[in-house]
Amino acid sequence: MDINSFGIVFALTGAILASLMGGIGSAIGVSMTGRAAAGVLTDNPSLFGKVLILQLLPGTQGIYGLLIGFITLTQIGILGGSSDISAAKGLLYLAACLPMAVVGWISAFQQAKASVASIALVAKKPDQFGKAMILPAMVETYAVLALLISLLSVASIGGLNL
Amino acid sequence: MAVLEMKRINIYALKSSRKKILELLQRRGVLEINSPKQAEDLFDRTDTEPARLTFEKNVQLLNSAVELLDQYAPPKKGLPSMLTGRTPITTKQYEETAQTAPEVTKIASRLMALGKKITDGQAEVLRLEAQIDALQPWLGLDISMRTIGTSSTSVFIGSFPEELTEEELKNRLAAALPEVSALEAEIISSRSQQTCVFLVCHAKYGMQVEIALRGMGFTYPAAPSKVSPAEREKNLRERIKAEQEEIDTAKKEIISYAEKRESLLFTADYFTMRAEKYRVLGELWQSPHVVQITGYVPAENAPPLQQELETAFHAYVELETPPPEEELPVKLKNNFFSSPVEGVVEGFSMPGKFERDPSMVMSICYYILFGMMLSDAAYGLLVVLACGFVLLKFKNIEESLRKSLRMFFFCGISTTFWGVMFGSYFGDAIPVIARTFFNTEITVEPLWFGPLDQPMRLMLFSFLLGIIHLFVGLGVQFYQLVKRRKFADALYDVVFWYFLVGGLILLLLSTDMFHDMMNLSFQLPALVGQISAVFAGIGAVGIILTAGRESKNPGKRLLKGLYGLYGVSSWLSDILSYSRLLALGLATGVIAQVFNQMGSMAGGGVIGAIFFTIVFVVGHVLNLAINLLGAYVHTNRLQYVEFFGKFYEGGGRKFAPFAANTKYFKITEEK
Repeated sequence: MDINSFGIVFALTGAILASLMGGIGSAIGVSMTGRAAAGVLTDNPSLFGKVLILQLLPGTQGIYGLLIGFITLTQIGILGGSSDISAAKGLLYLAACLPMAVVGWISAFQQAKASVASIALVAKKPDQFGKAMILPAMVETYAVLALLISLLSVASIGGLNL
Repeated sequence: MAVLEMKRINIYALKSSRKKILELLQRRGVLEINSPKQAEDLFDRTDTEPARLTFEKNVQLLNSAVELLDQYAPPKKGLPSMLTGRTPITTKQYEETAQTAPEVTKIASRLMALGKKITDGQAEVLRLEAQIDALQPWLGLDISMRTIGTSSTSVFIGSFPEELTEEELKNRLAAALPEVSALEAEIISSRSQQTCVFLVCHAKYGMQVEIALRGMGFTYPAAPSKVSPAEREKNLRERIKAEQEEIDTAKKEIISYAEKRESLLFTADYFTMRAEKYRVLGELWQSPHVVQITGYVPAENAPPLQQELETAFHAYVELETPPPEEELPVKLKNNFFSSPVEGVVEGFSMPGKFERDPSMVMSICYYILFGMMLSDAAYGLLVVLACGFVLLKFKNIEESLRKSLRMFFFCGISTTFWGVMFGSYFGDAIPVIARTFFNTEITVEPLWFGPLDQPMRLMLFSFLLGIIHLFVGLGVQFYQLVKRRKFADALYDVVFWYFLVGGLILLLLSTDMFHDMMNLSFQLPALVGQISAVFAGIGAVGIILTAGRESKNPGKRLLKGLYGLYGVSSWLSDILSYSRLLALGLATGVIAQVFNQMGSMAGGGVIGAIFFTIVFVVGHVLNLAINLLGAYVHTNRLQYVEFFGKFYEGGGRKFAPFAANTKYFKITEEK
């Protein structure tokens, strides 16, 4: 059996991992922040708008994961086009998806912790919302950087002569 | 476009007019009360705490009354109060509210009493229903449950904790009481874990039977009724009915107060204002005849206020410029274009003592960066239309909301601009629709270039924007230092960094390596590279020599200087941080494409069109919401961390004037 017939398998694994791990991380994260937010709302329902934003902060990693997954799918021809990919390229796609998959998963989880703390802050001092929002956003920086590297890699693998 | 100048104001007035003066000050809302900690012996403070607490209790009472009222007579669903804003009322209407306040408070108390009556009644109904439930097994009994017998018989009415048939019962009784012959047993009801029975025997066996029954687990009912259970049930039902009627009357009475809702809310506000007034009153120094009010007032509001107080109340008003070392409250004032971002500045911190208001510079950067992150012409247009519509249609919205909307309005314009530049209209919706439904190929050419085609180009552009942004921030620092006549600091902390970072960037642009790596279309000549290397060197040496200038020890100074030079690494990370412009911009475009492609999967035709519309609307609303949030958060971050890091510390205290912090009305001045 030709090893190159596994190219598409590797590539699809990468795409799936990116959306899978990013999604799992975000789901866990948004659930953690959601529970904290619900607790705050029992006391002060008028804070809904603010805690909602804080709840959603760890949700972006799932979307970044989806994004990387989708671009990979279009690049490797799963959504139409030729899916004839060499094993080397398939592994490259897999590697390219990993930053988003791993960093997305962990950063969503960690960002959720920061976000929960910020929700507690907003509960006590609603006027400090600006600062409360920035602290979890710091964590997201690394998800954005991972997104960038995955995005640039996935977009340029197609042009390689392998 | 700046931090407003503050004046210190001293008002001396007759004590008799103190309340009138405070009311005026509260309505004007331009003075922050700041009483000195101590005063001469002649002056004293009044304890207004009890009065204030009473007012606050009234506010609570009125608010709970409205809550209760809303429960039984829900107010008509109109526009959200956020859009309609507070109801404007004239001073005269305010006076009326003040006069009717005791009456309205009585209504609130009445409402609360009715509410209590209803909850008590409901609890009573539940209790009675529980009693009826407990009676159910006994309904077959047609005598009083308290019957214990006649002169010659003993009667036992009670239950066993198990399910028994008549036969089982009689067998057990016969086994337990072989010598008792005349024992009549009747089962009234039987179900699992409870059998209710009626037993009668001759009085002489009474004691014996009772002991035997107890041995079998017999118990008397917990709440035996005096009359027969059926009659008792009837009585209970009648009582429930009576309670229900009372509850209904109470409800009707509550509903009859429905049109008082507004006056209840207004009165709550009236008491909020009074509570605030009394809080301030408690802070003021008063002699037997004179009251002294001290505080800060923005310079532009000071003369009219002075005149008004002097003419209306014959008060003596003194205005003075505070000494420079005094910590003043900060109030920002900016033009139409920049004032919307004041909230963002405030979210970080108000400007400190020697700092400029960064709103003006920041507003331009804010709009540009936000636009690049959202970067879709159609989304931008939607945001512009939505904000513009609300701003035009609802004139009465609160100032802070108006500012936020205006901020998003400008951000929307910028988003549209970048969307056109990068050729994104709902992602690639136009080509997809053309291909799916009209079988034609339309390509929407971006005005500049497509980010997905040339991501590296966009990344370099993001870095360029970042460098400009950071250099502007450093420029503000330069301006601030020069303004304070700290020329040496301006040279050491700003100019050297310009030399170092600017020189390094130009040097990089002249190297072959960077040129090949980034596929640049231009390369700076080597001569420029050499000159900029010299500048970078001057900057580096300058930083090493001056960054540790607080230390006297030369060795320590050198080490601190080297550490200062290490700060160049933070410049690197600051600049790289702007790659999020690319990442978020691409995210918007790609997610939009995902939804467009999903929508087109059902193909052309009517069903395809319906499917496409649904996916399109849901998908793009979701994408817009998520990316609005992302763009907002990350623009704030770039401003707070990267931009403010170069020049802004904050630490100022926000100007908090004594004003009418009402929720439902605002007093308008008739001129």
